[in-house]
Amino acid sequence: MDRRNFLRKGFIYTSLAGLYASTLGRIPLLALQRPSVPSIGNYDLVAVRGGEPEAMYKRAMQEMGGMQRFVKRGQRVVVKPNIGWDVPSDRAGNTNPGLVAAIVRDCLAAGASRVFVFDNTCDNWQRCYQNSGIEDAVKKAGGQMVPGNLERYYRAVNILGGKRLTSAKVHEQLLDADVFINVPVLKHHGSTTVTVAMKNLMGVVWDRRYWHRNDLHQCIADFCTFRKPDLNIVDAYLVMTQNGPKGTSTADLSLMKSLLVSTDIVAVDAASTLIFGAQPENIGHIRIANEMKIGKMNLSSLNIKRVAV
Amino acid sequence: MKLRHLKKIRIGVSLLIFALLLLFFLGIEREWLNAASTLLLRLQLIPSILRFLALFFTVSGLGFLLILVLTFLFGRVYCSSICPLGTLQDIFIAAGGRFKSKKKRRFSYSAGSNNILRYSILAATVILWLFGSLFLVNLLDPYSNFGKISVSFMQPAFIFLNNKLALLFERFHIYSIAPLEVKTLPLNVLMVSGVILLTIAGLSLWRGRLFCNTLCPAGSVLSLVSRHSLYKITFKDDACTLCGKCERVCKAECLDSRTKTIDHSRCISCFNCFTACSNDALHYSRLKPSPIARNKEDKAPDKGKRNFLLTLAAGTLSVPLLKNASLAQDLGRPGSIPTGTATPVTPPGSLSFERFTNNCIACYLCVGACPTNVIVPSFFDYGLEGFMQPKLDYHKSFCNFDCVKCTEVCPTGAITRQTPQEKQAIQVGIAHFVQESCIVTIDRTDCGACSEHCPTKAVHMVDWEGLRIPEVRPEICVGCGACEYACPTQPNKAIFVESNPVHLEAVPIQESEGPRDEVLDDFPF
Repeated sequence: MDRRNFLRKGFIYTSLAGLYASTLGRIPLLALQRPSVPSIGNYDLVAVRGGEPEAMYKRAMQEMGGMQRFVKRGQRVVVKPNIGWDVPSDRAGNTNPGLVAAIVRDCLAAGASRVFVFDNTCDNWQRCYQNSGIEDAVKKAGGQMVPGNLERYYRAVNILGGKRLTSAKVHEQLLDADVFINVPVLKHHGSTTVTVAMKNLMGVVWDRRYWHRNDLHQCIADFCTFRKPDLNIVDAYLVMTQNGPKGTSTADLSLMKSLLVSTDIVAVDAASTLIFGAQPENIGHIRIANEMKIGKMNLSSLNIKRVAV
Repeated sequence: MKLRHLKKIRIGVSLLIFALLLLFFLGIEREWLNAASTLLLRLQLIPSILRFLALFFTVSGLGFLLILVLTFLFGRVYCSSICPLGTLQDIFIAAGGRFKSKKKRRFSYSAGSNNILRYSILAATVILWLFGSLFLVNLLDPYSNFGKISVSFMQPAFIFLNNKLALLFERFHIYSIAPLEVKTLPLNVLMVSGVILLTIAGLSLWRGRLFCNTLCPAGSVLSLVSRHSLYKITFKDDACTLCGKCERVCKAECLDSRTKTIDHSRCISCFNCFTACSNDALHYSRLKPSPIARNKEDKAPDKGKRNFLLTLAAGTLSVPLLKNASLAQDLGRPGSIPTGTATPVTPPGSLSFERFTNNCIACYLCVGACPTNVIVPSFFDYGLEGFMQPKLDYHKSFCNFDCVKCTEVCPTGAITRQTPQEKQAIQVGIAHFVQESCIVTIDRTDCGACSEHCPTKAVHMVDWEGLRIPEVRPEICVGCGACEYACPTQPNKAIFVESNPVHLEAVPIQESEGPRDEVLDDFPF
C-alpha cells in the first residue's frame, strides 16, 4: 500500500466511524429507549408533585432523559444524601431512604460499576447511617455505604474559584468518582433559613467549622466552583419548616409531596426555596452563587417542566 | 474428681471471664456479650458493694454476698477465677516464666504475711470511702484497674488494628469493617494507668500475687473471710514426702512445705499445689486441719482481724484532723470550688456531682463504651478525692440525645439506668451564650453551628441586625454540649455549658400530632 492509498483509506474509514458515532451510534439507541418522549433532557429543571418519593423520582428522571444520560457503563458514582442527623426517617431530618435506594438502583441499572453513598455526619455517624434507614436501604439496593468519620478519607484540594474558601479536604470517593449525584432533603435551617442542594455539600468536606468561621454563605457558594454535582435531586416530600436542620419532632414537618431535579444547583435551590416559602434572593449563598454565575437563580429564564402525578 | 484437675478448670474459667470482660471493655457490641459481661460485672466485689448501697439495696447489687458466701465455702476462688486483674497477673506470671530460668521461676514461702500493711491499706480505703472519697478504691480496686488498663491501652490498640484492617479492605472497596475514632485519653491519665500497669506487671513478675495480698482492698476483705472458710487446702501428714514442689508453684507464697502449713488468708485457691503434688498429699475438704496447723492457729490470736479493727478505729479518729489539715483544700466539694471555675459535667443519670463522685470507681467502662467519645477521664477536676473520675468534655464531642449507653454499662450505679425518654428530660447543665465572642457579632456573617446541632432547639436563632444570632431557652436545654462542640470560635467557645452540680429536669419536647398536610396544589414558580 502506498502513502496515497493509505491516506485515502484512512480518511474514509475515519469518516465512516465518525459518522456512525455521531449519528447511527446514538440515534437508534435513544429511539429504542424512549420512543414516546421527544424532548428528553431538554429541561433545566423538572418539578414533580403529588406522589410518593420513588414514584415522583421515576417520573422526574423520565423527563430528564433517564439516568443513562448521566451515568455511563462502568462509571463510578457517588450519591450524596443528607444523613447528618441521628433521627428516624419519619422525622425527615435526612433524605428519604426509599428515594436514595431508588437512585442507587437506577445508577446500577444504567451500568454504573459501583455506587458509593456517604455523608460526613453531624451526629455520630454509625447511629446516623443506621437510624436514618439509609444504610439498610442502600445495601439492599446494591450500593455501598462508605464511612466519612475519619480524616484519612479526605484529601486536600485547592478551590481556585473560591473567594473565602480557597482550599478544603474533600472525601476521596467524591474526588475519584465519575458521576456525582447530590440528593439533599429540603429543610429549614436556623441561620441560612433553608438548606438544600448547595448546603448539602458541607457533608463532603472534613472541616465544616472553617466555613462557619469564614462567612458561611460565601464558603457554600465557593465550594460549588470546585465541583458541581452532575445531578441534583431534592427530596421535598416531607419538609421541615421549623427547628431545622435537625428538628425536634414530627410537628416541625409539613407534607408537601414534591421532588425537584436539575443539573443547575442554584436553580434547584431557588425553586426549593420558593416551595419552602422563602425568596431565593434573601438566601445569602443562593444570591452569591447566582452572582458568581455558578447557576441561575432567576427561574423565569429557565426551561422548567412541571408535573403532577 | 481428682484434685489435680481443679487447676485446669480454674485456668479455663478465669481465661473465659477475662476474655469476655476484655471484649466488653474494647467496646464490641453483641447481645450475648452484653448479657454475659453484665452478669460478670455484678460479681465484681467492690463495684457490687457500691451498687448495693448506691441503688438502695438493689437485688442487682447482691453479687458481693454471693462472693462472700463462695469465699466462706471454698476460699478466695474470686481472686483466682473471677477477678480480671488476677487473671492478668497470672498471664504476666506465665509469660514471665518463659523468660526465667527454672530456678527463678520458683516461688517460695514468705513468712511475712504483710498483715499490718494490707489491713492498714484496707482500713484507709474504707475510711476515705466513708468520708465520701473513693480515691484509694480508684487507685487500688482490681476491677477498676483492669478497666483503666483496658481502656487506656487495650482499646486504642484494638482500634488501631481494626482501622488498619479496615484500610486494607477499603482498597478493594469493601467497607464492612467500620473504622473507629481513635480514643486517646489525656496524657496524665495515660501515665497513671501506665504506672498502675507497670506496678501490677512488676509485682507479679517479682513475687506472684503479691499485689493481691498487700495492696488489693478486695483481696484484703476476702482474706478476712477465707481464714474461716469451710473448705481449705491442708496437708495429709502421712502422704507428704516434704519434696517442696507445692511451695514452688504457690503464687501467693502462702504455703510452707517444711512446716506443712498454709496461710489461708493469703491463699487464693489457685489449686497449683494440687497439680504439683505427685503424692496426692494435699486435701481440699472440710476435714479438720492437721494437728500441727490447728495448734498453731489456736494459739496464735487472729492478728489480721485485730490489726484491721485497730487501724480502722485509729483511722476513723484521725480523719477529721486530716480533713482540716493538708487534704482539706484538695478534697473540694461543689460548694468549696472557687466560683468562676466550672465544675465538670457529670454523665446523665449520675443525678448529682456529689452522688457521682461518691460512687464512681473510675473503671472507664463508660469511657470506652461512649459512642461519641464525650466521656473522658478527668485528672484533678473533681479534686483529689475524685481523682481520675470521668466527666463530659464538650471540646472533644457532645452527648448524643438518644443514647443511654453509659447508663446501661455502669457497674456501681454511679450512673443510674435511664430510658431514652427519661434521659432526654435530664438537664446536666445549661448552655450560656457569650455574644461578645460570637462570629455573628464580630464578623457580621451568619453561622448558627450551635443551633444546628441543638437537639431540643434550646439554642435557636433569632433575627439580629439583618443576620441570625443564637439565643438560649434554658428551660428546655439538656446541657448535651452539642452547641459548645460545634461552635467554631477559637480558642474559646462563644457558647458553653455550665454544669448543674445537681441535675435538673428539662421541659421535654411535646408529643407531636404528626406533620401538617400542605401538599402543593401548584408550584410557586
